[in-house]
Amino acid sequence: MDVRRYADLFLAESREHLTAFNHLLLEWERDPASREPVGGIFRAVHSLKGMAATLGYTVVADLAHRAENLLDVLRGGAQPIAPPQLELLFRVADALESAVGAAVADRADATSDAALAAALDDEVARLAQGGARNAPRPPAAMPLPGAGKGPVVRVALRRDAALPGARALLVLRRAEALGTVQGLNPPLAEIGSDAFDGRFSFRLDGAAGPAAIEAALKGAGEVESVEVAPDGADAPRARHIRVDLRRLDGLMNLIGELVVARGRLASMGRRLAEPDLDDLVRHVSRLSESLQREIVAARMVPVWQVFDRFPRMVRDLARQTGRQVEFAVEGKEIELDRAILDEIAQPLVHLLRNAVDHGIEPPEERAARGKPPAGQVTLAAVRERSSVAIRVSDDGRGIDRGKLLRRSRELGLVAAGVGEMDDEELFRLLGQSGLSTAEQVSDVSGRGVGINAATTAVRTLGGTLEVHSEEGRGTTFTIRLPSTLAIVRALLARVGAEIYALPLTHVAEAVDPRHGELQRQDGRETLVLRGQPLPLLRLREALDVADGPPPARQPVIVLEMGERRSAVAVDALLGLHDIVVKPFDAPAGTRPVFSGATILDDGAPALILDAAGLIRAGA
Amino acid sequence: MGQRVLVCDDAIFMRTMIGDILTSAGYEVIGEAETGVQAIERYRDLKPDLVTMDIVMPDMGGIDAVRQIVQEDPNAKILMCSAMGQQALVVEAIQAGAKDFVVKPFQPSRVLEAVQRVLG
Repeated sequence: MDVRRYADLFLAESREHLTAFNHLLLEWERDPASREPVGGIFRAVHSLKGMAATLGYTVVADLAHRAENLLDVLRGGAQPIAPPQLELLFRVADALESAVGAAVADRADATSDAALAAALDDEVARLAQGGARNAPRPPAAMPLPGAGKGPVVRVALRRDAALPGARALLVLRRAEALGTVQGLNPPLAEIGSDAFDGRFSFRLDGAAGPAAIEAALKGAGEVESVEVAPDGADAPRARHIRVDLRRLDGLMNLIGELVVARGRLASMGRRLAEPDLDDLVRHVSRLSESLQREIVAARMVPVWQVFDRFPRMVRDLARQTGRQVEFAVEGKEIELDRAILDEIAQPLVHLLRNAVDHGIEPPEERAARGKPPAGQVTLAAVRERSSVAIRVSDDGRGIDRGKLLRRSRELGLVAAGVGEMDDEELFRLLGQSGLSTAEQVSDVSGRGVGINAATTAVRTLGGTLEVHSEEGRGTTFTIRLPSTLAIVRALLARVGAEIYALPLTHVAEAVDPRHGELQRQDGRETLVLRGQPLPLLRLREALDVADGPPPARQPVIVLEMGERRSAVAVDALLGLHDIVVKPFDAPAGTRPVFSGATILDDGAPALILDAAGLIRAGA
Repeated sequence: MGQRVLVCDDAIFMRTMIGDILTSAGYEVIGEAETGVQAIERYRDLKPDLVTMDIVMPDMGGIDAVRQIVQEDPNAKILMCSAMGQQALVVEAIQAGAKDFVVKPFQPSRVLEAVQRVLG
């Protein structure tokens, strides 16, 4: 077998299993008496073992096997998990992760961790001596069913069940009343023998749901557990295939080109005024819109795919830095473009490290301030209009503005006269490379590059990063991202002879100001919209456009980002268009109000305006 | 409660014991049988809600009795009483149509659990 062909798949799936492993361990740590996590952990390790063994990754398979032995004993026991046992399992998770990496990379350091293996075996042996009454089952894995249709059902009879073979038959009778039983493992003949240990599995093809199946089978008596797992390959509502992300990227680029071609076709149709051509253009438009929607949807993944690795990271960080942290994750189901999600992981790591290391105070300090000893760190995803906001917030000490200001003066980043700063200015200073308020550079963060790197990464994705900090109360970083890359709906506006695109993500409305709505307040131009004053930015002036005189009446676009609103005056509005965002390497000195470029229907390039930059310029 | 039970066992001791367990839990023992043939006849006469059936009985064994009773009344609810080591026979009885089983030596709680499962 050509192992290399499967290595990528193995790596991807292993990561999923290891993420689940870590996740469940944390759950178990929170509630040691819980019986829920061990089953899932067991399955993750078991799957990993099976895959690794098939591919000849003996180091991984061996470690997984030993861990499985321990998990199996723990699964049979009635005791809550002990802290040393949890530590051991956390070590296993780490060791498996590096072993998987080493195995796939064919690295020489793919050697087994003998100490860990011995520790696992010792723990299994120790538990095995725990008295005859509570004797664990011999370490053997739950059998997997053979081929067939329907969800996988795994049944374990109580250990003290009399005549387990006959009892298993009663369970199967009840299963047969619900549907067709296939792939029984072990086979019926073995179930009737003395070697049968009371655990068996099969596939049940029928209409009953997991809860109904569980209830019915437990009714057969002497049943310890029933697990019903929908079978990915056979369940009718979840048919998935794995697609290389590069294919989706390629497809997305092609759709982008198609959208541009569609636009050109449409304007050609308008010029020729040919009814048949119009019909065809409309048809092609509808088809390409559907195609675009499908591709965008195919690229969307829930944020938990990245968020799920953070609880473990935060836990380890908290331990390393001597903090107590309660970490909450919200909005896990919110979806983002896979490409965005991948890029956002690293900035989030920076922000979470900052929160734990700089934000949350040591427990004594918190107690002295009358705060609960455990700090709260929250990672939340929220859908806003057509963007997604991701917040990293802590209830720690907040950013020390005085100290930051002093450091900034020393470095010559602010004028000596500046005495106060709002969140905006604070953020600008935080983003300055090399600036940090951390007293010493810790292993974890405080090198002053975190915020800068995070800002760059977020801006590259067409997103924005903001900070809000209150001394003594905590800090919140908010990342706003478009939910998908590449194609966005934008408002086209003309200024002078140039056309600019403004993504709808942050466009609240467009208005034709009436007489009296444009005023001068505190010496600045202001749009008073429904009684609310908004700072007005004239794009002609901001961009130094000198093509002829401006029209007598300029339409105004109202931008909105979180709490902040701002008005931008343009020469004319040209309507909504789907634009294809092209990568934009801004030459040095480019105004910070552009975030990218696009090609218009007629093939002419247009710059994409950055709402955040405009709001900042207008403020 | 008050459901009617037919107890089939060739040993008086076992019949008495099963009877006591069931009676104390509010079931009504309406008849007893010592052989398989008797069990079938009593079933026809009494139409009990539940039958407890020993596997090994004289003239006609419990399994054959189960087969006959279930053939006449597919809804018959029969609980097998077995000794350890009779797995193959219990399996046969279940295939013949018995609904559940208990294993000697009897623990009252297990017997009652099984009865409830069968009647449930």
